[in-house]
Amino acid sequence: MVQYEMKHDSLSATFSALADPTRRAILARLALCDASVTELAEPFRMSMPAVSKHLKVLERAGLIERGREAQWRPCRLRAGPLMHAAGWLEDYRRCWEESFDRLDEYLRTLKKEKQHGSKQRKH
Amino acid sequence: MAQSSASISTAENGLGMEVAFTRTFDAPRRLVFKVWTDPKHLAAWWGPHRFTNPRCEWDARPGGGIHIDMRGPDGHIYPMSGRFREVVEPERLVFISAALDESGKPIFEVLNTVTFAESGGKTILSLTARVITSTPNAPQYLQGMEIGWTQSLERLAAQVDKALSTGRA
Repeated sequence: MVQYEMKHDSLSATFSALADPTRRAILARLALCDASVTELAEPFRMSMPAVSKHLKVLERAGLIERGREAQWRPCRLRAGPLMHAAGWLEDYRRCWEESFDRLDEYLRTLKKEKQHGSKQRKH
Repeated sequence: MAQSSASISTAENGLGMEVAFTRTFDAPRRLVFKVWTDPKHLAAWWGPHRFTNPRCEWDARPGGGIHIDMRGPDGHIYPMSGRFREVVEPERLVFISAALDESGKPIFEVLNTVTFAESGGKTILSLTARVITSTPNAPQYLQGMEIGWTQSLERLAAQVDKALSTGRA
């Protein structure tokens, strides 16, 4: 409900990048160790250009970085944006929890008012 | 007494894009549903502690609009808008919500599903909030590939912690 000083644009880019199962799988693979485009393409039975397209999205979102080595340019996971996204979700959860505290209190107030009201009617 | 439990999913939807939790309220389901669907009631409890809701439009009908301006203790206004998808009295609400940026444009959207179950005069409320984006889904033939990778997402979460602690990220 409330964002606590979050950079919305980058957060939005992170969530967009994560919305695709192939890209999540690529990240999961990179969590194990760095890998080249060829290594990443293999389990997906995808063409290199198709994998490269996904990698570009991940790179733009800051979720991965590419090595400088000309030959195999290993891809590497960057954790920052992931932590940022997880932090936003945690804030969202906390907002709901606090709302629910208030809801609980509000329901008790309504109950008391109702009891009070029915007592008054009896007298 | 309210009881609650919460979990941030890392596996099913991948990388914690979903928040889910359950809470029990000591009130009958019809009443809990009412305070969820009547904007006058909603404004009394919506938002974190010490927040108020000077504008609270909450049209709980399928397709009905949502606009809430939450006002923080410091006076800052946090606008949000959205739309109802499903309203099944007294058991289920599904709505999309989005926080708005300074120009009033929605930032990414969240699909919220709220269910109300009655148990011995109490109400068990479950909420699932899933981030949705405009990115189209991967083609059908890619869907199956995810299955084999799901387990490694949990390892990814662990790796993220490790990477942060070693300063690699």
